[in-house]
Amino acid sequence: MDRTHRVRRRVAATACALALVLPLAACEALTPGSATAVPGPTAVPSSTAVPDGDVTLRLQFADAPLMVDALIAAFEKGHPGIDVEPQYKSFSDYVQNLRLTMTSDTAPDIAQYAVGMTDLAADGHVLDLAPWREAYGWDEAVPPVSLDQLTGGRTSEATGGRALFGVPAGLSMTGIYYNKELARRAGIEAPPKTLAEFEEQLAAAEDAGLTPLGVGALDSGGLHLWAALLNQLMPTDAYWDWVNGKKGATMENPAAIEASELIVEWGRKGYYNESANGTAQVDSTAQFAKGDSVFLINGNWAAGQLATAMGDRVGFFPMPGEKADSPTVASGFSVSYAVSSLSRHPEAAGVFLDFLTSPEAGQIISDNGFLPPNPDAVKKPTGVLADIADGHRRAVADDGITTFPDFAAPAMLDRLRSGVQKLIADRVTPADYLDSLQDEWEDHHGE
Amino acid sequence: MASRPPVVEGAPRSRERRVRGRSRWRGYVYVLPALAVYLVFAVLPALHTAYLSLFEWDGVTLGDWVGLDNYAEIFQDPILRRSVVNALVLVVFFSFVPIVLGLLSTGLLARHRRPGMGAYRFLFMLPQVVPLVAVGVTWRWLYGDDGVVNQALRAVGLDGAARAWLGDFDAALVAVGLVGTWVLSGLCMMLFLSGVQKVDPSLYEAARIDGAGPVREFTAVTLPHLRGELAVAMTVTTVAALASFDIVYVTTNGGPGEQTTVPGLLVYRLAFSEGKVGLAAALAVVLGCLILAIVYLINRLSRSES
Repeated sequence: MDRTHRVRRRVAATACALALVLPLAACEALTPGSATAVPGPTAVPSSTAVPDGDVTLRLQFADAPLMVDALIAAFEKGHPGIDVEPQYKSFSDYVQNLRLTMTSDTAPDIAQYAVGMTDLAADGHVLDLAPWREAYGWDEAVPPVSLDQLTGGRTSEATGGRALFGVPAGLSMTGIYYNKELARRAGIEAPPKTLAEFEEQLAAAEDAGLTPLGVGALDSGGLHLWAALLNQLMPTDAYWDWVNGKKGATMENPAAIEASELIVEWGRKGYYNESANGTAQVDSTAQFAKGDSVFLINGNWAAGQLATAMGDRVGFFPMPGEKADSPTVASGFSVSYAVSSLSRHPEAAGVFLDFLTSPEAGQIISDNGFLPPNPDAVKKPTGVLADIADGHRRAVADDGITTFPDFAAPAMLDRLRSGVQKLIADRVTPADYLDSLQDEWEDHHGE
Repeated sequence: MASRPPVVEGAPRSRERRVRGRSRWRGYVYVLPALAVYLVFAVLPALHTAYLSLFEWDGVTLGDWVGLDNYAEIFQDPILRRSVVNALVLVVFFSFVPIVLGLLSTGLLARHRRPGMGAYRFLFMLPQVVPLVAVGVTWRWLYGDDGVVNQALRAVGLDGAARAWLGDFDAALVAVGLVGTWVLSGLCMMLFLSGVQKVDPSLYEAARIDGAGPVREFTAVTLPHLRGELAVAMTVTTVAALASFDIVYVTTNGGPGEQTTVPGLLVYRLAFSEGKVGLAAALAVVLGCLILAIVYLINRLSRSES
């Protein structure tokens, strides 16, 4: 084959490729994404009248399938006209497709609230339920702190009060579990009243030759510990502003430096399980149940497993504050449900959401290991579950349930996870770590 | 890609040229179905990715044309740059070590025809048959606190060396790399062993009569015959290293810190969790170009030697 021929052919191929790409670049219609106008926040009507005839609601969710099935069964028994069709997705699948799902024409009527829902609410893809706060009496049935997590930091255009983009079913909260036998061996008599006392107890455990604190930092355990310390040191309002993306909010502040420094210091003192960065939360829980550490940072979702494995030998307390009379502040979130603005039966969805606040639903939620929104309506739990319920009650009374820090931006989870891993291993300064978080925050919230 | 039918050399006369022209077109008709499939499922998606890389796009709402900004970000963002360096380190474990091990075992096994070579090849092939996700999960256990690796170290008194391999800032990348070594060594051995079977046994005999020892025999007879297999092994393993995703995702998810973050993992994260489809596409394009360049280099080297 002669050379000029080959060269000519190559030139032709390049020209073809360019000819294909150039008009694409020039053509507006081929810009990726849909240009549909964003309607802005949309509210439900204040009426709660249930439509006649048979209605089917599609419910898409990612957490606690057993609880959802039980809730639906109980609901349908009381409301024969409304069918709820559950569509379960694995959590990562659900979160990754949430935007696409909720902006598509086939959006489910009801969807579990997750990271990214705030943006969808701002664009009007999920309904503002604020008018039903009064109509259904949700402000009385649900502790305000649980509804505050679901306002997206917005004011409702329909009522002028706080917006509402979801209704909680089960609540969650993080805190510290402790092994009562090991604690006694280290001379620890009772849960600490202050953060300083907790540090003394960690030191006592270390002195007794035990591993003081189990952390599963391979996934989210590290960021739960960081958030728990941050909750005690940073003003709750400032924290909320940051997570909600309020203009001017920043994580580069002295309190956050102090919290991050504690993580580093505890690492230097050898308070964590040696392989914290290589241990997943589930594994750290299993190791704690075997008696590998005196304390464990985790959430109430681990309570069922620990109660079964350890019985009376395990207790729980929320991370203590700086002073004995400091308010109880803990991070947590709820398994909550939002309503799509494309739903043809928002009133029926409202009936279902209202059912979630009922005592009957509360009992189902409690039986499935979550904290019911209204704890007074259910049977008193025992053992470690009672500790958690008690801690939660104190936090709710102090208005001290904050959301998880990764809700600040879609990419925040990765920054937090890898950042806390570096803090634990003493590989980053607290200032640089907070700087990386703030960079991500500004990237998302645009400043 | 479409290759032209062999061209008849000689003085072209007009009739011949017509026939030649017609048969050339007929040749294209034969490759058309394959070409169409290739265009629709490989070339167009690649072009589309390149096109998307010029936008800032969250995957849903209207994208913004940003030109080459995404590429600029790749070369400025320390995490993205870090990921490329990590991938290049993985090349050592995914490509270099397996090839050396493969050559070594081939040198040992090739000198004499032994019964049961088929069984060896079957055993070496086994890691290829196991899904990489299962491989990753299994190795996570092996590397765990009380995993087999640490148990073995403690059993021989090396308690100090035991650690959570995947959670250790200094050890994690090596630990992940060794998983790749385990997976790909078998592939290399198998390739080389089957390559050696093509070698005429009389060549070994001749070498031995000439007084060659095992080393000389390997360099003079075995190695030259394996050039083609070497090129294939290098290409396959290098691509596996640079495009690695599953093993890292399952074992460390890029941690601790960014010690094991690789481009493939970031492409996935940026596109699907972080809503930065344009940046993900740009990173994918850069990764693709890097792989193509290296593969081109390998092919060029192996050809020029022959």
